[in-house]
Amino acid sequence: MRVEDRPREGAARPFKASLDAWSRAVKLAGGVGFGLKQLPRSDKLLGPGGGRGKWIAADCWPDCGSKGYNKAYVEDGVVVRMGTDDNIEDSWNRPQLRACARGQSLRLWLLGADRLKYPMKRKNWEPGGGQKELRGKDEWVRISWDEALDILAGELKRVKETYGNRAILANFVGTITARFLGAYGGFTEQWGGHSLGTWMNAIFFTGYEMQWSDRFDMVETKLFLLWGTNPVWSQAGLPAYTYWEAKKRGARFIAIDPFYNPTYEMLTDEWIPIRPGTDHTMLLGMMHTLVVEDDPSTNPLIDWDFMHRCTVGFDRDHMPEGVDSSENFVDYLLGKDDGQPKDAEWASEICGVPPERIRWLARELAKERDAVLCTSGGVARVDNADSLPQAFITLAAMTGHIGRAHSQLALAHHFGTNGGPQLVQGQNSRSYSNSHLRAPPVLNPLASNTMAGGLVVLPTPGCINIYEINSAVLNEQYTEVDGAKTPIDLRMIYHAHGSRVNQIPNTLEAIKAHRKVEFVVTQNMFMNADAIYSDLVLPVTSRWEREGNVCIGYREQLLWHSKVMEPYFECKDDLWIGVQLAKRLGVDPTIVEPWSWGQEIFNQVADARVMQDDGKTLEPLVTITEEDLAHFGFEGEPQVGRIPIREFQEKGIYHIPREPGDNHSFVYLEAFRNDPERHPTHSQSGKLEIHCQALADVVNNLGWAKIRPIPSYNPPLEGYEATFSDWPARIKGEYPLQIYNVHMPRNAHTFFDNATVMRELFPHEFIMNPADAEARGIANGDTVLVRSPWGKILRTTWVTPLVMPGVCVLGQGARVDLDEETGIDHGGCANVLKGGTLTGGGHSGFNSVIAQVEKWTGAPLRPDLDRGAIIPLPGERM
Amino acid sequence: MSTQLGFYLDAAACNGCSVCLVACKDKYDNPVGVNFRKVIHQTMGHWEEDSAQPGFLVPQISAYTLSIACNHCADPVCLEACPVAAIQKQEDGLVLIDKNICVGCRLCQCCPYDAPQFNEELGVMTMCDGCVDLQGTGEEQACVAACPQRALEFGDVEELAHKHATRVAGVEPLPDPAITRPSLLITPHRNSPLSRSEIDG
Repeated sequence: MRVEDRPREGAARPFKASLDAWSRAVKLAGGVGFGLKQLPRSDKLLGPGGGRGKWIAADCWPDCGSKGYNKAYVEDGVVVRMGTDDNIEDSWNRPQLRACARGQSLRLWLLGADRLKYPMKRKNWEPGGGQKELRGKDEWVRISWDEALDILAGELKRVKETYGNRAILANFVGTITARFLGAYGGFTEQWGGHSLGTWMNAIFFTGYEMQWSDRFDMVETKLFLLWGTNPVWSQAGLPAYTYWEAKKRGARFIAIDPFYNPTYEMLTDEWIPIRPGTDHTMLLGMMHTLVVEDDPSTNPLIDWDFMHRCTVGFDRDHMPEGVDSSENFVDYLLGKDDGQPKDAEWASEICGVPPERIRWLARELAKERDAVLCTSGGVARVDNADSLPQAFITLAAMTGHIGRAHSQLALAHHFGTNGGPQLVQGQNSRSYSNSHLRAPPVLNPLASNTMAGGLVVLPTPGCINIYEINSAVLNEQYTEVDGAKTPIDLRMIYHAHGSRVNQIPNTLEAIKAHRKVEFVVTQNMFMNADAIYSDLVLPVTSRWEREGNVCIGYREQLLWHSKVMEPYFECKDDLWIGVQLAKRLGVDPTIVEPWSWGQEIFNQVADARVMQDDGKTLEPLVTITEEDLAHFGFEGEPQVGRIPIREFQEKGIYHIPREPGDNHSFVYLEAFRNDPERHPTHSQSGKLEIHCQALADVVNNLGWAKIRPIPSYNPPLEGYEATFSDWPARIKGEYPLQIYNVHMPRNAHTFFDNATVMRELFPHEFIMNPADAEARGIANGDTVLVRSPWGKILRTTWVTPLVMPGVCVLGQGARVDLDEETGIDHGGCANVLKGGTLTGGGHSGFNSVIAQVEKWTGAPLRPDLDRGAIIPLPGERM
Repeated sequence: MSTQLGFYLDAAACNGCSVCLVACKDKYDNPVGVNFRKVIHQTMGHWEEDSAQPGFLVPQISAYTLSIACNHCADPVCLEACPVAAIQKQEDGLVLIDKNICVGCRLCQCCPYDAPQFNEELGVMTMCDGCVDLQGTGEEQACVAACPQRALEFGDVEELAHKHATRVAGVEPLPDPAITRPSLLITPHRNSPLSRSEIDG
């Protein structure tokens, strides 16, 4: 395998005449190092009326959680430029859905020289493995699709017949690829949440469901607590613009975070630095303050009316039936059970916030009627933080900010800046394609008959927790949902859709696991880490090369993306691969593909619904005439809707009109607050559960931790306390620093990370406070070696006071680039530093990382820009 | 009086997301290292002992971003420096480089805004041209149309100055506007120190 030194040449040798257009596209796209040989296109006239081509609404599906609208200008089949959402006049009431930097780079990314072009097998691969230790080091050999499919079908059959379907690990392959694998008898799936951390359990059991109020309500808020949020980098686009609108209307913003990030630069003058993974202690210190200072007549700080009517478990007088009253939360806060009051002084020792600042923030929040507590999954992506979400819920409830206008607990701003019933409904996922919606779902019998390839977030019999995936391969056992250690014999790894080696904890263990099994296959657009450690790599189309996609934007938009271009070189759709496998292995291909993808998208458009002005009634979004049916050539019925189907296709987006005071306003949990008996939550008690037995049970049954039903603090396994070798004596240990793991602007997880333009504009630096850097003789721009108990990486530093002392910031999503001799990752993959320790409810704990940093004395790290493109086939040029 | 086209930046709304930069790069196919627009991240401050709470360090910091391209200046030093008169100021105020005349000597890199960019492949200087090709098409400049914060505008600077009630063109760390008289109007970020001449003037 060769790692290209930022390839510079333009197209040298088209493989056949029909690829001329491709060569041109790649040159124009800058894929070959922006190797353009002609004058910039500004010398030509583009755009409406001038250009020869046309705009096509183009999908952006990488899984950041946000959604922007993009369109591609296509001339003679070649995408020459990106465009923005100028389909409607822009206003606050009805804003254009403008994309982020990543979306704007789609053309440059998707037409990169490092797109995979041909099926490939590893040179020393043989049925059953063949020098498995060479995975990741071997050369690649171009093969035909027939040979590739024969190899894959052969290995699937051999593994199934020899070991059974259970031996096929196909975790997180997506619903399209999983249609075949489910129909072929099933496969081993993962469970657990990557994104929301421990909120994943909390939203199922506590009564708080992660819903939000309408944006027109939200922007009237007076005080925002931004607790570990950064939409400018993570869910770029409308969320930051919505916060900005609130700022313009006079809202005050306070940030609680280890890092003063660009969102705070824009919004926030008050920054409360806090150590990663210690937020729970700060919340307890705030709540203790409120409990001891509250006096309903002279100093009302607690919304007792709400606590009485709408919660259980807060104090002795409000316990669920049959529960010992000493198990209440206030007694825990006051230290009646363990002798340790959870006061601001206690919290301060751990979280690093001065006690008076903790008390001040508690009072500010309690005294402001219109306040929003905004937080993110990141704060709960901490090992052992299983009770943290309840602490947030309790604080929001105590301070009167649940179920009231201009007040809410808003988790995850990519949704949280605009909530309420979806006003334009279609395929209601922004990133994943749930395929063939009118067909019965293909089930996975080995994942308790859940939809094959669907997200399995809660503990589910038969599935393996994400932390345990690699150790299950290596140690041949995993933990069942009842805690039983269960044997498993995994022989084959099937990758599609995701990036498992890179994106689940303990990447070095993942590489070992990949060198153990008998066969690894990856379907991808690029040489991601999964592909690098595979035997067989199948190049797949991007969504630009498929027959379109339908998905929601925010609450008010539905997008319909069309096919932008022909498949890149020999790339094929995941669905096509599934059909070919079905034909080879005796599975009915119509189960895999009940109808064409074009028909599926047409169905989804026909099924799209839009809310009428009454705020209650849904009507079809599009009108379809007989003439339209003839035009599209798909099966369907004429229908009457709001806009002509061809207008929707041409623009690729529909925005529902909004104005203040319309019938679409929504305040989450308002009905519950007003009448909890008639509008109960989904929790066991129907209330918000500060004492939540169901949550404690699901965690405790796994046997990795023991939590109480109330939000008591459990120190993270590798959190602040673990930076000390002797915590009571406060003596620092071998790994004295904490690493805060953030989403960075370069990528959406691993997507876009290899794009030249993104690597140029957004370096992936190791961010350190000057005090920590100076103590180690490290200057801004130095290469540093970062060590955790799990692995080592090299990075270039950005030394800045924007991060608090004792904490370093490292973005996630960069592709691992392992030096096999030293075991050091030069790519800066965050999961090389993050271990796969089983904790709590089994949800991702990416923010519990401890480390030591030293100045690197070897050769300085080469810029990521020079190591971006992996072009696997020898001599491959266009 | 003839018009003068230029950019308006709401630096209070700008958060450094860099969509403007990528949109520009995409439209002009600019190679690595060639960027007509730049996003400048300005960071100030330090940590100090909290007098009210001994033992705690507190941050005294601020930071903001500025998105800056060619400012199509009233006194373009690039134009004056060009030995072959490849740089012209148009009637609408745009300062444009004629690539057919440019010899790539790079003397125009004296621009304090670093606007002229040498394109190695072409062997000539290149620069923001205000998306002159889109004039009359109804399309806005690529950077302006793409900005998710609606922080950029392009047009007649007198109209923009009136609309946004600002004549500020110099905030840290931008050069003193007296040098080139940029056609740039900024609503400063709340923590943004003005450059010396803005304060004096």
